[in-house]
Amino acid sequence: MLIISIRLQQDYSSNLKFKTSFRNCILEAFKRRLWKETEGDDWDIMWAEKEWIHEVLDHTHLQSNQKINHFRNHYELTRKDLMIKNFKRYKKNLEREGKSEEANNYNFFPLTFHLPSEYPIFFEEFKRQSANSDTKTAWIMKPIGKSQGKGIFIFNKIQQISQWKNTLRYNQDNPQAEAYIVQKYIADPLLIGGKKFDMRIYLLCTSYQPLTLYLYRTGFARFTHHRYDSEDISNTYVHLTNVAIQKTSDNYDEKLGGKWNLQTLKLYLMTKYGQEKVAETFYNIQMLMIRSLQAVQKIIINDKHCFELYGFDILLDAQLKPWLLEVNASPSMTSNTPVDFELKCGLLDDVFTIIDLEKVLTGNEEQIGGFDLICKGNPIKLPINSTFTTYLGAFNNRQQQLKKIAKSTAIRLAQTYSEGQMKAIEVGSKGQKEKEEKDKQMRSSSKGPQAMQNGSNVNNKSNNLTKQNTIMKRNTTNLPALGTMQNKSNVKRQPLQNAGQQQQIQQSQSNSSKKNNPNEDSMLSANQKLQKLTQESKINQFQPYKQQSQYNEVMGMGGGSRNLQKNEE
Amino acid sequence: MQQLDNQEILMKLKSQKQFWDIKKKVKQGFSDQQKIGINDIQKFAQSCEIEDQLIKLISHILKKSKKRETLKEDQIEFLNTSKIKWTELLFKNLDIVHQKAKNQEEDDTNTDSKLYIYDEKNLLAFLQTFKQQQPSVLYQNVQFQSNKLLNINIPLKSSQQILDKYQYILLQEELPEEKINKIRKSIENEHLDIELEKIAQTYVPNGERCLLYLKYFEFDHQETVLQQNFAKLQKECQNQLFIDELLEIDGHEISEDTFYFVFQEQILTCLKCFIRDKSIKENIRIQLQNGMKKEHAEFQLPVAGFFPFKNISKYVAPLCYLSTKIHIIYALFKEFFCRYFCFLHAISSEYNSILSLCMQIEEIVSTRSPKLFHHLKVIGCDTLKLIIHQLIYCFVGDMDPPHILTIYDQILGHDSLEILVILCVGFLNKYKPKLLLAKNYENVQQIFQELREDKFQELVQFAYKQ
Repeated sequence: MLIISIRLQQDYSSNLKFKTSFRNCILEAFKRRLWKETEGDDWDIMWAEKEWIHEVLDHTHLQSNQKINHFRNHYELTRKDLMIKNFKRYKKNLEREGKSEEANNYNFFPLTFHLPSEYPIFFEEFKRQSANSDTKTAWIMKPIGKSQGKGIFIFNKIQQISQWKNTLRYNQDNPQAEAYIVQKYIADPLLIGGKKFDMRIYLLCTSYQPLTLYLYRTGFARFTHHRYDSEDISNTYVHLTNVAIQKTSDNYDEKLGGKWNLQTLKLYLMTKYGQEKVAETFYNIQMLMIRSLQAVQKIIINDKHCFELYGFDILLDAQLKPWLLEVNASPSMTSNTPVDFELKCGLLDDVFTIIDLEKVLTGNEEQIGGFDLICKGNPIKLPINSTFTTYLGAFNNRQQQLKKIAKSTAIRLAQTYSEGQMKAIEVGSKGQKEKEEKDKQMRSSSKGPQAMQNGSNVNNKSNNLTKQNTIMKRNTTNLPALGTMQNKSNVKRQPLQNAGQQQQIQQSQSNSSKKNNPNEDSMLSANQKLQKLTQESKINQFQPYKQQSQYNEVMGMGGGSRNLQKNEE
Repeated sequence: MQQLDNQEILMKLKSQKQFWDIKKKVKQGFSDQQKIGINDIQKFAQSCEIEDQLIKLISHILKKSKKRETLKEDQIEFLNTSKIKWTELLFKNLDIVHQKAKNQEEDDTNTDSKLYIYDEKNLLAFLQTFKQQQPSVLYQNVQFQSNKLLNINIPLKSSQQILDKYQYILLQEELPEEKINKIRKSIENEHLDIELEKIAQTYVPNGERCLLYLKYFEFDHQETVLQQNFAKLQKECQNQLFIDELLEIDGHEISEDTFYFVFQEQILTCLKCFIRDKSIKENIRIQLQNGMKKEHAEFQLPVAGFFPFKNISKYVAPLCYLSTKIHIIYALFKEFFCRYFCFLHAISSEYNSILSLCMQIEEIVSTRSPKLFHHLKVIGCDTLKLIIHQLIYCFVGDMDPPHILTIYDQILGHDSLEILVILCVGFLNKYKPKLLLAKNYENVQQIFQELREDKFQELVQFAYKQ
């Protein structure tokens, strides 16, 4: 067996080719997968810039196996003005259809107008708002075509935009007129340490028909470097969290990059507000993301070649209500800290796994790496007795999960292979037709080694990671799962991180798979089977430490007994 | 200590909601009787536990009315003189630090060295000198005692007593949702110290902790006062002091911790206000240093009455997880420091003092894990040297903030720092197998440089493991 696997691994020199003009985490993630870079058109996957899509994609014929990282008209969601237009339209449609309840859920974006086209309506609204409230309402102006916080400014007097209005930009007839959107500024953002922050959360869409969405467990909160002051609207450092802006600030600390990962943020919020409130907030964030995509589902041109990784920018206000600031089609994959680098490389690696160029997945996986399937046609509801309302901000167990997938895939493919062989022997000397069929089987099973390779890759990576972890010490503290607890089974759901335990599970897996009826086996999907196996072993092996899990339960922490068990062994 | 007369007690009773509840209950009990005698009331009160409640209420009022005076003199004369020596030493250190800072200003290239007046190691080293200075008549002939770092004859609680006191944490069951909600409600309604302490001892739900602390410190209706006081102090901060520089350096260090870098500015503001707060001197339970008059203003003790030390930021940091309002963070920090953390820096024979806690740890480790105790001694890294950082800074930086806050709960719940003894013992037990393999001090340091994750419950469990 060992010899075969070694031979297979040797055979495996990735045939997959990638093309990208990026030279950051994207390139690194490709390289880590041992894929080859190509300059020509023979790529299997291309990580292109948005401009390339607009200019070239429409005139290019893609091979059936080729994958590209944007949908043709992604700007319907990712351009600030179009996004709002589509949301408004979808909301209206829902109201027209009598689905007022769902329509009311589209309240996660601030009041927005397009300038210059909607200037008169905006002006009326501005006057109305100013008359109604004692304090001056602040508005934020964002140029439509720019990113990284360029050209953004905040104002509360109409005179402040008159200057802008008089320039070339406002003149509608002027071909150079630059379009802006103006939004009511969220004046009571949640402040942590007196600082404003927003969240960057990653969502992967692999298809718009049916709408298939994967949400990444880890994201981060970006802090401004200056204390928030709602009065001082001219200082952009106070109001804008964009790393590009904050980098230019005097007291920008490169080491920390002014970021918290989502787990730390969740820990803070749970300590301060209690877990119920935080669970609700994170669930609302997940629903906000699904609703955003639902609103453009019928507008975006679906294409089986395309997938897209969106970076959602979300702001929490003082009442913990999430607000959507914008959706980025090309979230920054440049890292400013080692932690950031690992996060982004891991994220991209999981994207590549989901896209499944190797064609080894069943398509029914609910979690792949750090991504959880949250929508497939319809939003996926977690079982009522589930411990989590959303996995967003929960412990990112991608390493363990990938190992699991690799293992289940290997089992499945090995089975297909042996079944194929059995058939081949049975059929043996029969006619030519059957022979061809057998060949087919063989071809499909030759994908096995890739899965194995995947698995071994993961192992190597995890080794590297632990090394780095020790260097970075507390900066990379693996936070425990921070999902919201509703029942005690949380602890059981935790990945078993203990090597000894894993060994035991492996043993029990091999034992129970021996016992299982092979017919029954083939009927179960690989994933289900694996689940069944791990469940069985967990019941036998797992002995939660009651006293300890009491605290863990509050924090939604699992695996707390990890160190204890190690020592006992 | 001032005493209240009966009239005053009654007045205070009337201001309590619980008093009126009790009265209502009594009235209901006698609604159909016309003549009521004192004996009847007494019997009735005994039968339905009203008497107990009333006693609790009165004792609460009496306790609150007691003004705790700052402990200035220790019962043990030798410690008093030591405290003066310690203060002298700190003044000397201040001079050195001041000189260093000046040099640094002149020479920009050398800004790496971290400046502080003293740290936990300095304090332990000072405590260690006691052994030589005190004629230890009592232990002269006792060989086994000499293994310990600290051998001072001060009254100590038996270590078994401490172990027994916290053993209940081991037996805590997981709480169902309804119980947690019940606790939430009782925090909202309850005002009695005893009840709040009981909750803190057992379980404080997240999200309610700030309210519980505020109620316990009787700040719950004083937000505007807190805000005003804080604003005043902030104004005073405009006058720069040399100590501010040291606090800023300290703030940089806390900003290296992922969990706290966001709060660096708030922490610094709190500390700057803290050293300028005149009310600290009155409220602090124990005097940390004995002031000396010097000519130059810069070389005097800060208004708070003691020198800030290295890592003082660590005490404030976890409290930033409780409130977004800085005046509340400050008020909580002030109370926690004046009531509890001050003892960690005081040379005293009090049960809570660093001296007692250290001796307790040595006692427990040397009797329950003699092998480890001896091994650490042999490799030149005494038990106390190993644990002093965690002990003095309440494990801040070693555990995640929610776990630290659980420690704070316990401190408040028992009005005592003894939980730290348990955690330190647990900490040593947890790493015992690794520590026993260590051959020198560098090995030991390596163990703690590795990525590790300590948890409150876990350390308590280890503490009781034989």
